[in-house]
Amino acid sequence: MNFTLTHDPIDPMALRQTLCTSTAGAYCSYEGWVRDHNEGKSVTALQYHGYAQLAPSVAEQILNEAKEKFDLEDAAIVHRFGDLIATDIAVWVGVTAHHRDATFLACRYIIDNVKYRLPIWKKEIYSDGSSAWIENHICGCADPNNLDPHHKHAGHSH
Amino acid sequence: MQIKILYFAQLADLAGKTEEARQLSDPSPAALYASLREAYNFPHSFTQLQVAINHQLSAHQTPLKDGDSIAFLPPMTGG
Repeated sequence: MNFTLTHDPIDPMALRQTLCTSTAGAYCSYEGWVRDHNEGKSVTALQYHGYAQLAPSVAEQILNEAKEKFDLEDAAIVHRFGDLIATDIAVWVGVTAHHRDATFLACRYIIDNVKYRLPIWKKEIYSDGSSAWIENHICGCADPNNLDPHHKHAGHSH
Repeated sequence: MQIKILYFAQLADLAGKTEEARQLSDPSPAALYASLREAYNFPHSFTQLQVAINHQLSAHQTPLKDGDSIAFLPPMTGG
């Protein structure tokens, strides 16, 4: 299972080595960084909470979907939880394939689905001492169109 | 039947706890959430949440059984 939910800092170069093979011709990665502002507010820290017993099965499903959709050799996700500050890496995605197109597309597919389907939530801590859970308005359903905020499918619509 | 409720993120903050046990007579997750929403002032409607039973995403109408755990999951915001 190429998924890790961790308290520890993410080391992209070490993770890159875990995917390195002589048969892959392309590697693409994504790093999500903690920034010090959001929607006009000064952010001093982010707290990530995760559902550790559920996250691995959801991550495995996302990775399997990516492998089915794109011609990948391998793919992996690492997500932090706990308290993070600006410049920390919150999430890392790495994919390998024979050719570059598959890696770009799969990396985008995986991170988009991680953001809306992996059971992880973040709270922003602001410089004035207040805090707020971040909200999104895209549902976490497994529908492949779920990144469209106005999608409709069985059971509900938006 | 006795079930365990797990709380995450905003729901954990509002409930003031990360889990609790409850005795239920109605096996419907919707009925359970309605009572929790009233007790803790949860902002989400039932359909805004996903349901995980025994650490697996489950259909909203899945009936609960004795010994189950259930979590009502607000929209995810990882990344």
